[in-house]
Amino acid sequence: SLVIRGEKDEHAVLCSKDKTYVMKIADTSNMLLFVPGCKTPEELNTDPASCNIIHSQIAGFSKNYWELRRCRPKLKKLRKLLMEDPYEGPDSQKDQTLTFSKYTTEDLLSLIQASEEEILHQLQVIDACKIEGYWRILDFDYEMKLLNHVTQLIDSESWPLSKVPLCACLEELGSLEPREMIEHILLSYGRKYVDAAGEVFFEMREDKICRAIAQMLLRNAVKFNLSEFEEVWQQSVPEGMTTRLDQLQGLALVDKSSRPETIFLLKVEDLPEDNQERFNSLFGIREKWTEMDITPYIQDLCAEKQTVGALLTKYARSSMLNGVKVYNSRRPLS
Amino acid sequence: LSHSGGVGALAQWVLVELQGEVEPRQSGDLAGSLLGDLHYTCEGIPVLIVGHHILYGKVVQLEKPFAVLVKEGGAPQPSPAGPHGHYTVTALIKTKLLFKTRPKPIITHVPKKV
Repeated sequence: SLVIRGEKDEHAVLCSKDKTYVMKIADTSNMLLFVPGCKTPEELNTDPASCNIIHSQIAGFSKNYWELRRCRPKLKKLRKLLMEDPYEGPDSQKDQTLTFSKYTTEDLLSLIQASEEEILHQLQVIDACKIEGYWRILDFDYEMKLLNHVTQLIDSESWPLSKVPLCACLEELGSLEPREMIEHILLSYGRKYVDAAGEVFFEMREDKICRAIAQMLLRNAVKFNLSEFEEVWQQSVPEGMTTRLDQLQGLALVDKSSRPETIFLLKVEDLPEDNQERFNSLFGIREKWTEMDITPYIQDLCAEKQTVGALLTKYARSSMLNGVKVYNSRRPLS
Repeated sequence: LSHSGGVGALAQWVLVELQGEVEPRQSGDLAGSLLGDLHYTCEGIPVLIVGHHILYGKVVQLEKPFAVLVKEGGAPQPSPAGPHGHYTVTALIKTKLLFKTRPKPIITHVPKKV
């Protein structure tokens, strides 16, 4: 079945099990009459005996109808809702008080303009977890604390990064943190697999761990000297992992025009969801962008078969700067 | 929204699309009035006779079919819990009869010159 979702101040969307469609009213100057049971010529031809008059009733008429157009699910609100009360761990005083900023799957289904599958998939993407029946996002500091427990244990046990045993982690860290949280952090930052003996292991995700540590470093200042940052960053990641700037796509931006070069935090999930607003925001941050720099910040705007190039053609104007193709706003921005 | 009735095929309706407006001959409601007669020629061309006009149309398979929805129930005051209303898909429309040519008046009686 299908569901129409939206609050009073939102545009209605229609959702199937896994897709989302924008609903628009279309007007026609013609008159549309609905005739139940009206037969087409083909249907009458197959029944040669029907030379009688068939009395048909027109069920109704209309001059407008609803049109559906497939759209990106509106998922930014999901993160916004879950960030109202991030989970800070069992020791946090916050959870003692009953706050109503907690959401079950049913709550989310009635508040988020997206299909159920799209919502559940996004919950996985943002590493949300269910605690006492409610979907929660981890507070970043708590998340880094959990990650640190695991990476330190890997280091002290000299486990290979590709073979971290679940059971041992739960045993060693179970006294420090809830077992569900330990397993959750392993699932978030590793790939689960089972070996021939049936034991559960995790292959740690180097890129994701390096990226998280970069975020931890970058959130403490407006911007950093790039080379200093790169040095500290490499020293901060677990032994055996290599940092690379391309791990930070959609998370941080390098300013190559400043002397010395700098880097600052810019998270794509903090930017507007609407296409035009997104581009306005990006051009407000930087006047001219190369395609390589802007792509991570507009990739998620692409519709089903749309390319980044098509988006740039529509929302930006290109020019050459020092032999490099750059994009700037189509309209003057205040 | 949900399927009306049980398992099985949904009712198939046909759309008749007319240019302009339809008005009752005498002032009054359209409801309950006769619109006209629909015929098909041997070639399958739909012909509509409305009042003393004749319209020729064509059968069009809709690229995007329509679903006919009927609203049921629904609380007058939207409640925070649960759906606020229920639409049932009553029928599908995959074909339309499009009449966009100018209606021609039918002259049935031409008095002969004596």
